[in-house]
Amino acid sequence: MPSVILRDTKLQGNIIEKDSITIDGIIVGDIKAEEVIINENGNITGNLTADNNIQVGGQVAGDLFSDRIHLNNSAKVKGKLSHKNLVVDEGARLEIESSTRKKISNNNKE
Amino acid sequence: MFFKSDKKSQDQVHGFSHLGENLRFEGEIDCKGEIEIAGKVKGNIKAKKLRILETASIKGLVQAEDVEVLGYMVGNIESANIHIGEKGIVRGDLRFENNLTVLEGADISGHVQKNKKEKIKRSDTDKVKYLEHNKIAS
Repeated sequence: MPSVILRDTKLQGNIIEKDSITIDGIIVGDIKAEEVIINENGNITGNLTADNNIQVGGQVAGDLFSDRIHLNNSAKVKGKLSHKNLVVDEGARLEIESSTRKKISNNNKE
Repeated sequence: MFFKSDKKSQDQVHGFSHLGENLRFEGEIDCKGEIEIAGKVKGNIKAKKLRILETASIKGLVQAEDVEVLGYMVGNIESANIHIGEKGIVRGDLRFENNLTVLEGADISGHVQKNKKEKIKRSDTDKVKYLEHNKIAS
């Protein structure tokens, strides 16, 4: 079962999840997962690494690594992005440096 | 208006957080509502209601109002109510205020102690009194 962190929850530390993780709470620390979904109330301070997909609807301060990155209209992101595919919706507030790469998976292992 | 409705929605959280079987976490957890853990956690946990599932493995201090241990746990538990399930394993002390339930088959080694209610709840009643006082004052 994938993990869900609701908005009444605060985590301080690094998370490693082999499945999908959905976050609506506050995280201070790095997250590694197959898929990371950050909802509107989500607030992350740390780097996100996902094998498949990162979807951001909340606030992130940190670097993002994933094959596919989707920044929703409510996203607020500050950091560096590495991706194969990037989607940015209208309204997203960004302060980012982004680079498209052929292989992200190699990047993750370093 | 906008902010007020926002605050209300933040106070009410439906459902509970779930840390899945394949999740590993090292650090502190602070949950104002309910949380369920099926993965590995190293670190202290504060929650209102905590459920440690069968597949879970926890190392650290647990402070909560309700704790249910169905899995493996190393560390002390401080909670108003503690429930240890059939397959629950606890290596650490249990401190409770109201109720302790231990099912047949549970494996516990540590001190078990019932604390007086006053210690933790005093701060709560003080807060309530303070809030009431504020209401009257305003």
